[in-house]
Amino acid sequence: MSDYLLEIKDVSKFFHGLVAIDDLSMKVKKGQIYGIIGPNGAGKTTLFNCITGLYTPEKGEIIWEGKKINGIAPYKIAELGILRTFQTIRLFSEMSVAENIMSGRHIKSNQKWYNGIIHTPSMKKDEKKNWLKVGELMDFFELSKYATTPAGDLSYGLQRRIEMARALAAEPKLLILDEPAAGLNENETIKLAQTIRKVRDQGVTILMIEHDMDMVMSLCEYITVINFGAKISEGEPSFVQDDPVVIEAYIGSDEDE
Amino acid sequence: MRQSYKIAIVFLIVMGFFPLFSNSSWLAVGTTFLIYSVVAFSQDIILGRAGAFQMGHALFFGLGAYATAILNVHFGVPIIYTFIPAILIPLIMAIVLAGPIIHLKGDYLLVATIGFNIIFIQVIQNDVFGLTGGPNGIFGIDVVRIFGVEFMSQTAIYYMSFILLTLTLLIMRNLDASKYGRAMFYINKDDIAAQSMGINVRYYKLYAFALGSAIAGAAGSMFAIQYSAVSPEAFNVVQSIMFFTIVLVGGSASLPGVLIGTFVMFVLPEIFREFATARYLVFGLAMILTMILRPRGIWPVKFGNIPNYLKKDTK
Repeated sequence: MSDYLLEIKDVSKFFHGLVAIDDLSMKVKKGQIYGIIGPNGAGKTTLFNCITGLYTPEKGEIIWEGKKINGIAPYKIAELGILRTFQTIRLFSEMSVAENIMSGRHIKSNQKWYNGIIHTPSMKKDEKKNWLKVGELMDFFELSKYATTPAGDLSYGLQRRIEMARALAAEPKLLILDEPAAGLNENETIKLAQTIRKVRDQGVTILMIEHDMDMVMSLCEYITVINFGAKISEGEPSFVQDDPVVIEAYIGSDEDE
Repeated sequence: MRQSYKIAIVFLIVMGFFPLFSNSSWLAVGTTFLIYSVVAFSQDIILGRAGAFQMGHALFFGLGAYATAILNVHFGVPIIYTFIPAILIPLIMAIVLAGPIIHLKGDYLLVATIGFNIIFIQVIQNDVFGLTGGPNGIFGIDVVRIFGVEFMSQTAIYYMSFILLTLTLLIMRNLDASKYGRAMFYINKDDIAAQSMGINVRYYKLYAFALGSAIAGAAGSMFAIQYSAVSPEAFNVVQSIMFFTIVLVGGSASLPGVLIGTFVMFVLPEIFREFATARYLVFGLAMILTMILRPRGIWPVKFGNIPNYLKKDTK
């Protein structure tokens, strides 16, 4: 088995004949903070949707811990330990913060079908264990005082934190973050970077899309740059930053806007 | 304890003493109310919690009623034993029927479930295998006998219905505080997010259909006992629309809401019986106004039902 947690091999995804991801390959090492950057519409989120099973790529392989996982249902991908957040926040907005985070405990809970009707001592123990874990996460993300507040009533920055806490509740091996700093102010962004580092230090591999270049360059250990669905550059931040191809892609895209 | 449970307990206490203060005709109305409340809660599991637009629920209510009627009248099975098939047959049928269409969203599922209900009515009206009695239905259903004791008074039937509703409320409470109940809410609120958290949408929706239909079947059996007869019009699409409406007017996933919905849709028409058909004008308008003024129902559900040890004071 290779020392890569996740390998993307020659993956292509088309929408109505238009190429969204073009023969893309990349490898994520265990314990890495891996960044994906590129202009808007480059296919970054599409790639995340392919990894998490929401889309099935037409070509290529997505390999998780040595096994091919493309075409597997999203809920099974989560069971494998790949959890994500969304670029456009997708919380259960009418439900409380604690209940939102509890959804991450779903795959860790071992309740049986009849426990929906009859409660047993072992089920109650399971329930308590999972709520306590939710409590820990609310403490870690400083959300405890909002425990019973509907998630949809909270600020953007808090909602991003809830999404991350929810994904971490499932104790993922790989945490996929889709633009975690979008909409955050400077202070919140600095705090987010610290949080991401802490999470990684607990043994979670991070794969993230981010537009905030300062954050990406200081946080990520390895970066892949995508434009028009294809990889145009990869390497450590210092390399990617100075790569003429990358500079051109970004300046070029600015002119388009 | 959560407010809605307190209300449910107060409601049960009031209903428990109701027979002491009412005559037999009101007792019959009360019994029907209890039975329809059970059906409304079973609809709520599917519609209010799992968010599946089931508009053929009377089919499963009817399956339970007909199971009891057919087994008792045609095969002489004692009523008490017909309870089990009256629960299992709707449960199995729910999985068989809903299985292939469970992936349908909103309005598509709604139309498909109406289709099932229409076919069901067609089948029982045509007296299949000479068992369903055609348009007239089945008469002469026996009374409940346990150890040779007959439970045939309206009061006895009332209390059997009361026990059924109490059990249903217990199930609702247990469901709320379980992985299965929460999974339904997650699917309902955002199925993409739910899947990404590892929730098998299809499985939990089918679970909701199976559980809801089994409970509706039990209520159907009780309904057959109450009227000692069953006939097709009690289980047609109009009834399904009523159950659907109760949940939305009362408040999806809200225990007090569903009770209020049932009261408004079934008991109020009885109270205002003297106003004849004019009352339906009022009800139609009330339904429309509720949806405009209180789109989440008269008594909307309140989330945030979490253990007390997680409720910390604001720092």
